[in-house]
Amino acid sequence: MKPLIEVRNLGIAYGRPGSWTSVVQGVSFDFARGEAFGLVGESGCGKSTVAYRLLGYGTVNSLAQTGEVLFDGVDLLKLDARSLARLRGNRIALVPQNPTTSLSPGMRVGAQIREMITTHRALPAGMTMERRLAELFTLVGLPDVGHRYPHELSGGQQQRVTIAMAVSCNPDLLVLDEPTTGLDVTTQRQIIQLLQSLRSSIGMAMLYVTHDLALLSQIADRVGVMYAGQLVEIAPCDALLSAPVHPYSRGLIASIPTIDGASSGRGLRGMLRRDQIPSGCKFEPRCDFAKADCKGTPQTLEPVGKERAVACMRWKDIEPAAAELTRAARSPQPDTEVGAVLSVEDLALSYQSPSVLRTFLGKADSIVARDISFELKPGEVVALVGESGSGKSTIARAISGRLQPRSGGIHLDGNALAPVLRRRSVEQLRQIQYIFQNPDASLNPRRRIRSILERPLRHFGIKSDGETLETVLESVGLHAGYLNRFPEQLSGGERQRIAIARALLVNPKLLICDEILSALDVSVQSRIVELLQSLKKQHSVAMLFISHDLAVVQQLADKVAVLYRGELLQMADTATLLESPLHPYTQILLEAAPGLRKDQYVSRSPATPGETSTGGQGCPLAGRCHRQIGKICAESRPPVRSTETGFIRCHIPGSQLVRGNELAAA
Amino acid sequence: MTAIVSRPARSLHGWHTTPGPFKAGAVILGVHLLFAIVGVFWTPYGYAEMGAGLPLSGTSWQHPMGLDQIGRDVFSRFMYGAHIVLLLSFAGTVLGMVTGAAIGLISGYVGGWLDDILQRVVEAMISIPFLALALVMIIAAGPALAGQPALIIVVVAIVYAPRITRIARAAAMEVATREYVAAAELRGEGTLSVVFREILPNTANVLLVEFSLRLSYAPILIGALGFLGFGIRPPTPEWGLMISENRNLLIASPMTVFGPGLGLASLVIGFNLFTDGLSRMLGQRPVMGA
Repeated sequence: MKPLIEVRNLGIAYGRPGSWTSVVQGVSFDFARGEAFGLVGESGCGKSTVAYRLLGYGTVNSLAQTGEVLFDGVDLLKLDARSLARLRGNRIALVPQNPTTSLSPGMRVGAQIREMITTHRALPAGMTMERRLAELFTLVGLPDVGHRYPHELSGGQQQRVTIAMAVSCNPDLLVLDEPTTGLDVTTQRQIIQLLQSLRSSIGMAMLYVTHDLALLSQIADRVGVMYAGQLVEIAPCDALLSAPVHPYSRGLIASIPTIDGASSGRGLRGMLRRDQIPSGCKFEPRCDFAKADCKGTPQTLEPVGKERAVACMRWKDIEPAAAELTRAARSPQPDTEVGAVLSVEDLALSYQSPSVLRTFLGKADSIVARDISFELKPGEVVALVGESGSGKSTIARAISGRLQPRSGGIHLDGNALAPVLRRRSVEQLRQIQYIFQNPDASLNPRRRIRSILERPLRHFGIKSDGETLETVLESVGLHAGYLNRFPEQLSGGERQRIAIARALLVNPKLLICDEILSALDVSVQSRIVELLQSLKKQHSVAMLFISHDLAVVQQLADKVAVLYRGELLQMADTATLLESPLHPYTQILLEAAPGLRKDQYVSRSPATPGETSTGGQGCPLAGRCHRQIGKICAESRPPVRSTETGFIRCHIPGSQLVRGNELAAA
Repeated sequence: MTAIVSRPARSLHGWHTTPGPFKAGAVILGVHLLFAIVGVFWTPYGYAEMGAGLPLSGTSWQHPMGLDQIGRDVFSRFMYGAHIVLLLSFAGTVLGMVTGAAIGLISGYVGGWLDDILQRVVEAMISIPFLALALVMIIAAGPALAGQPALIIVVVAIVYAPRITRIARAAAMEVATREYVAAAELRGEGTLSVVFREILPNTANVLLVEFSLRLSYAPILIGALGFLGFGIRPPTPEWGLMISENRNLLIASPMTVFGPGLGLASLVIGFNLFTDGLSRMLGQRPVMGA
């Protein structure tokens, strides 16, 4: 069959006339109508740059130096603006990464889709615009939201709108640039499910760009792995995941945390440094299998077996990766006799201050989190897991003192903590350290690393000598050479290490890690997790680990607390929780986490969708729960039942939950 | 997730990569500076020397800008006056910058009732036309202070401070949401420490462009005050004052007016080009308006 897209020897450079820097070299691949091709790689490898060229698009500071991009036999790189405009949206459509910024905020979403159809005169014959819009919304699983503005929709709904817009002209090719990166696990899975069904119903080809191999495994037929601007391996998706050939693909796959704890070989070491790329194989500096001649010999894709190609001359010498099962080494159960470092009791949180007027008018206060109680023992890691908006970070804010709780108490070492930051003692401030989600924003860009690290030492009056900083840098896997750099000279992973070092420097009792991995690449993530595991052993510091990623959590946490719409639904030992997720919501979360195999995920439909609860009355899950037993769920607060290692909050009695679990497994 | 962060420009790149306006502005300002320095030490005639030539005899090679009504060489006065405008503009803007930035950063970071009160005061001051505000202040200062350079500097500062306050406040409010500020708060740092250690360095780009922009309008304000007779006391040759003194000679000897006028104009244009280039280099957009 003739391929729909043929990319031949594509080379792209960024810069300006006279000083071009080549970022993509000699990329060639093709795929047929109806096929889903995935491009995967770490950030900065050039995957999005290549993908946008498939729309004939390049930013003003980029230049396609070599090669051609053939779409149905036409070279997109040579087309003029008018013909490109006719193609884009009509025959080649884009689903952008961030729907919040790519939908026009001042325009109703229906009008935005209508605009697309009108521009390309793509209304099917004998159909009114209204019917076509309704059809599109049904197609992407939305109710009729055409009259709404983008901000009235959730992130997942917005992404569905951009998908509806992209398929509105029945394109031949859909280019998806990390379409699910900003979304929750459960929403991610629903979008993937949607794309799969769209593909079978419309029959368009897809180019799916992502850094998330686990997601790709759910949707792509073939995958191209990119490294430093070159394709290093092209293989059918299943073959790649089960037996990667190129050392980089292996490392990438090994870096992915999975819930079952299966891991094949070692993760990637080092990081891509554009200034240290040898003339030969670009992966040589990070490769475990490199020989002396790798450095000088450029590698090109050569066919390996059926439908596979790899750019590594030593692929035959490398023994196939053996999958092995490595569970995170559990620290011995913390002694129950030891008093808790942190205990939180009946915490209720709200961003509004209580007002007499509201009570008088009978308006309910919007409570973000309620009835939050848990404990952390010394050296224990408790993970707080939930979708975005579930109140995870809000709880962390309250513990750190940046949000005054509405009610309830927080105790550190048995002493009550003042609700406001300013009333806490310096010693208390030292003992709780906070690590933020985004290392780009948590380090002052105008200060050198030395000054960033020295400031807390001086502030808390901790004695230090020249070696203190070096020691802490070594403990997070960096060296003293970083002290005189500015944060922008560091990679994201290195910055997060500095942030961790800053927190550890003052010898805290409790570390609050607020989604500290979500801004990082998979390979970087896995190394930060390793770092945290070793720090946990050495420093015996308690950690409150906030994450939406259950796979990461299972590697690190002793206990997991599951949060939904501001309420703790279940708390249990990590192993217990993963093996028998009693609570229906925990089941939903676990099922949505992608593994490395196609798993025919189907999101569960709620048992009684109509019966939702209002805040503070029924179970927060009512209306979404697949095991809802009736009116009682929506109307009365579920009881808290204690289990062996924690508690569970559900109307369904424990014994029935277990039975339901076994049924689901069978 | 792409956070829009103004990148710290630590190294100003080589001369050939700088934007054109920056180069042009820098050259004009350099010429002004040189001219002002020379004017302090040497002028063809004394700036207050009467009878340097025949009064009203027009331009000639000896007197490129002609002579005024009492026979003083206008070019000598123009040369000597150059440093006065520069110094007054600079000192006034610096003073306004320091007070305005400090108030604005604290107001923007602390927020709450302090911010409310400060901003109402600032709005009240901005709502008065700047020339009227300046004149009222000079009249209120009384005859003893009138004409003193220090008074002019303070007046320029008071006119500018509220405007700078607003810019600084907006910048501080944006930076205050960053996590490194939260990190400092969680350490228990005091307000001033957060404002000057964490926020100030990260608003430096905005403030630098604002400073440069204000500096470019200062000669106009000072010139206007001089023209109206509220500026530096005669016979000190301040350019605005010279235009005012010689305006009767506009027909008879136009260069006596155009000379200082062109001086002011080129200075302002130089500053403006410089600001424009600087803001492009720092990735900021200057907010126009007096």
